[in-house]
This record gives sequence, structure tokens and C-alpha cells, in this order.
Amino acid sequence: MWTIAKLTFKEIVSKRIFLITMMMTAVFLILYGVAIHYAVKDWKSFGASTVDQMMQQQLFSSQLLSIGLYFSSFIVALLSILSSVSAIASEIDSHQIDTWLMRPITRTQFLFGKVIGLGGLLIAYAAFLFAGIIILHQGIGGEVVSLDFSISQIVSASATYMLQPLVLVTLGVMLSSRMTTLNAGIVLIILYGSAFIGGFVEQIGTIMEKGALVNIGIISSLIFPVDAMYRKMTVFLFDTADNPVSLAQQGMFASASAPNNVMILYTIMYGCIALAVAIILFRKRDV
Amino acid sequence: MNVMEAKGLTKTYNGQAGIRNVSLEIEEGMVYGFLGPNGAGKSTFVRTMLGLLNPTSGEGKILGKPIGTPESREKVGYLPELFRYPDWLTGRKLLESHAELCKVPIRERKKRIDEVVDLVGMTGRDKEKIKGYSKGMSQRIGLACALINDPKLIFLDEPTSALDPIGRKDVRDLMLHLKDQGKTIFLNSHLLNEVESVCDHVSIVHKSELIVQGKWRELMMVEAQVEIMSSAKAESTKLDFPDFVRNVERKEAVNGRSKALYQLKREEDIPRLVDFLANHKLPIYEVTPVIPHLEDVFMHWVNEKERRYVDHR
Repeated sequence: MWTIAKLTFKEIVSKRIFLITMMMTAVFLILYGVAIHYAVKDWKSFGASTVDQMMQQQLFSSQLLSIGLYFSSFIVALLSILSSVSAIASEIDSHQIDTWLMRPITRTQFLFGKVIGLGGLLIAYAAFLFAGIIILHQGIGGEVVSLDFSISQIVSASATYMLQPLVLVTLGVMLSSRMTTLNAGIVLIILYGSAFIGGFVEQIGTIMEKGALVNIGIISSLIFPVDAMYRKMTVFLFDTADNPVSLAQQGMFASASAPNNVMILYTIMYGCIALAVAIILFRKRDV
Repeated sequence: MNVMEAKGLTKTYNGQAGIRNVSLEIEEGMVYGFLGPNGAGKSTFVRTMLGLLNPTSGEGKILGKPIGTPESREKVGYLPELFRYPDWLTGRKLLESHAELCKVPIRERKKRIDEVVDLVGMTGRDKEKIKGYSKGMSQRIGLACALINDPKLIFLDEPTSALDPIGRKDVRDLMLHLKDQGKTIFLNSHLLNEVESVCDHVSIVHKSELIVQGKWRELMMVEAQVEIMSSAKAESTKLDFPDFVRNVERKEAVNGRSKALYQLKREEDIPRLVDFLANHKLPIYEVTPVIPHLEDVFMHWVNEKERRYVDHR
């Protein structure tokens, strides 16, 4: 299992797409840093003396951070989708899997190896991006836009943030153990897109107080809880969801409609079930 | 001891093709040829035995363990027909990964890798990435992979398909070397001369069915042929040959003596033919049994099977 995990990890790192992703990530972080730098510069010249202005500053600051985190979670999701949908299917297509599976390992061990390798790499990447965004925001932003976070806020927010690639990987591997790479990719992108749109619909529904829209968002979160985890992460990070003036409730990239804590448990169960189904499908499959 | 056995093993794809009802037993140290044209089901059988395909019915055992279990694959090597290895790895890293999966002790790994690399003639090239390997080199590193765990049973599926004549000879020599070491080899091939040169037992597969199996020397005797040199008189003599003579083919006369190739039903018919010719006052100078080509044997068994099928209908 660990041999397969190591090979999976090294394989992705050796691919050109990973190098390109890392370069683009660096470009994204630089741009984000530059944006924060100029935002702070403009804000300094404007100044913030009244309570209203200070609240505006806090809101503006949390929006900047939310945008950075939202886009970074989108990048992590794309990398998770692209790397997981081919994990099993492409190896079956190319018959590379034959010489691995004829070794004295079970298919479950092989599949776990794939999930651990992919999940490990994507968690490391997500942690790097999360830390990068927070450091840039707090560091470059300085006193003007930096927000007060406790360690527990950062830990719970980053853990929830890292749940997203894990769920995507388990579902991607599940689809890959049954479908071709292309089909699995299409299904997963549609699911991710639905969750993405559903998340926005839910936020709009909450702001407009339209129950039907909120329900659509909830259903999309139940079908694929990735966006819900992003929203939950913002609640953990800004930690004031019950507060009527909570920063977590402000703007489209935050969480006007806060997911319940049970949603985290649901997401973990979702990933576990996807993994169990993947094992059952892969055991039955002729390779 | 049976290293491998199959009882009524069947693998079909939605009821179509695959391999049907194969039963065979392979003893330790045997080089077993699984012979048949492309698409006959040879690879399907091997992949089912290795647990890559789930059998539709029947059962199989490798080294006493039921197929499909990791235990059955512990001491097995496999070179697939469609070999493809991760091209981002070097040959050596690939072997290290396989050694790790086979639980080759860490202390022995380097030595074992050096041994198999040398055995397949890849010394000096093993540290290069597989991406840069030719097809022949990939097949050689695949062979090294198959041998990394010092297997007792080695499945070779068309092992020379990508090799040049020198490479083919190397692989044949390697198979003989492994045979001398007491390894059991299951050779899938459609190349009759490859099977002929190394195998002592052969199965013939055709249209998803195992037609016949046995020691290939015995299978070869399906149609006895004998070349008889007689006087020139034989050419002009009209003889009414008995039933056991299936065909007579006249050969070029040598030194005023005639030569003919007789196809008989069985080997035991050779002395009967000699008696028959002697009774007809034909002087006999030379009697040479002719071993048929494997192609002829193969076609004989295929025709025999089809004849039986037609008779049965």
C-alpha cells in the first residue's frame, strides 16, 4: 500500500502539469500579494477614523481574504479532479496496472495506496496555499487589513479547507475505478460545478430570504458537499456566524447561510462511503 | 507437485469469446507452451489465473493457493503481452518498486536487481528513464521485473514480440537457463518455433477452447510421415495402397532411385508399409521417419477438433 502511495505521489510530482500548476500558483500568490499591497496603500491614504469606516475596513479586509481563499480552493479542486479521475482508469487503459496488481497485494491495498498518495499530495498543496494566502494577507496587509485570528480558528478553518481535496479525491477515485478517465472527469466536473452554483444560489437565497433557493443550495451540498466545506471554513475562520454583523456572513465568497456542524460529519461520511464504493467496484472490475 | 492447475476455468465477456472450460495441470520445472493464434484466448487465460480478470466459472490454483488471492501471486512472475511501465521511472526504480511490493528483503534488493538486470542484458541502461527505452528494452526490463522476486512460476505472454532476432535468441536462452534452474515457465505464444524450441509440454488453444494438450513429442506423432527410398521401378508401379496410407508424395529421384514421402495414420504403420512395399517386390534402400512441423501438428489438431464438431452436429 505504501509503495503504491509513494509511487502515486512521485508520479504526480514528476508530471509537467504539476510543474505548471506550481508555477501558476506562484504567479497567483504574487498577484494576490501585489493586490493586497495596493489595497493597503489606497486604504492608508483614505484613513479610517469613525466606527463605520473601521467596520468597512474589516469587511473589505475579510472580502479580500475570502476572495483569495475561494480562488485557491478552486485551484486545489481542479488539481484534485484532474489527478484523481485518471488514477485507476488511465492505468487500466494503458495496462500499466497489470504488473502492479499481479503482485501479492489486494485491490483494496492498491486503491488505498492511490488515495493516500493523491490525498497526501493535495493536502500538502492545500495547506501550502492556505498558509500562503493567510501569510500574504496578514503580512502585507499589516495593521490596516490584518484580522485577528486565534490558533484554533486557523486550525479548524485549515482542516475544513483540506477536507475539500480529500472528498474530491475519494469521489474521483471511485469514478475512476468504474469509468474511463474522460467520463469520470466529466461527471466530477459537473458535480463540482453544481455544488459551486448551488453554493451561490444558497447565499443569494439567504440574502433575499427565498426558501426555495436556500433549499436548492442545501440539496446541492448534500449531493456534493465541497462548496459547503468552503462556506464552513469561512465560518471557522471568521468565527462569528451567529453574530448579525459577522464577517462570515458578508459577501458572495463568505457564508451568509452557515452550514451546520453536522455537515462536517456528513462530508467525512461521504468520503468514506465513496471510498467503500470504490473498493467494491474495483474488486469486481476486470482490468 | 502441481505448480499450477485449472479446473473448468472459463472467462467470457457477456457470453462471448474469452476462454472456455480449460482444465490443465502443470508440474514443477515444466516449460509449458500455450499455443494458439491471436485472439484464441491465451492472454485471457493467463490474466484470469493472475486475478486480473474474474473467472466466469471454474477454479484455479497457483502453488496450491486459489487464484485471485495475493498468496497465489507471491512467487509468480509475469511479463504481459501489452507491457507498459511508468515512463517517468528509471528501469532501476521500477525494479526497486516491484522488489518492495514482493517484500524482497532490503539487504538483498541491490544484489537481486543487479542480477536480473544482468540476466536480461540491461546492464548500464538500468539507470535511464523508461521514457527513453526502445520497445525491445522495455520488454527486457519487463522480463527483469518478472524475475525480481525469484519466482517459482513465470508467465511469459509473447515474450519476444518486440525483440529483434538476437533478442529473441537471448530470451530463448534465458528460458532454457530458467528451466535449468528448475523454474516453471508458462509460455503464451503464437510463434510455433518459439514453443518448439523450449517447451516440453504444449496446449493448443483455438477459438477460446483448449483443443489438446500433452507432451509435444507425443502430440507431434499425430500423423506419422516416412520418407522411403526405393528403386526407380517404384515410380512406374501402380500400387493400390492400404487405408492406413493417407497420402503419397513423390520426391525427386536421386542416383536413379526414387523417393517418396508417405503420410500414415500412426507411427505403427511404418513397418506395415515397409512390409507392403516388400510384398510388392519393391527394393527398399532407406526408411527415414520425418518429424512433422509444428504448424502441421497445430493444423491437424485444429482440423480434428472442427471435424469432431461437425460430426457431433
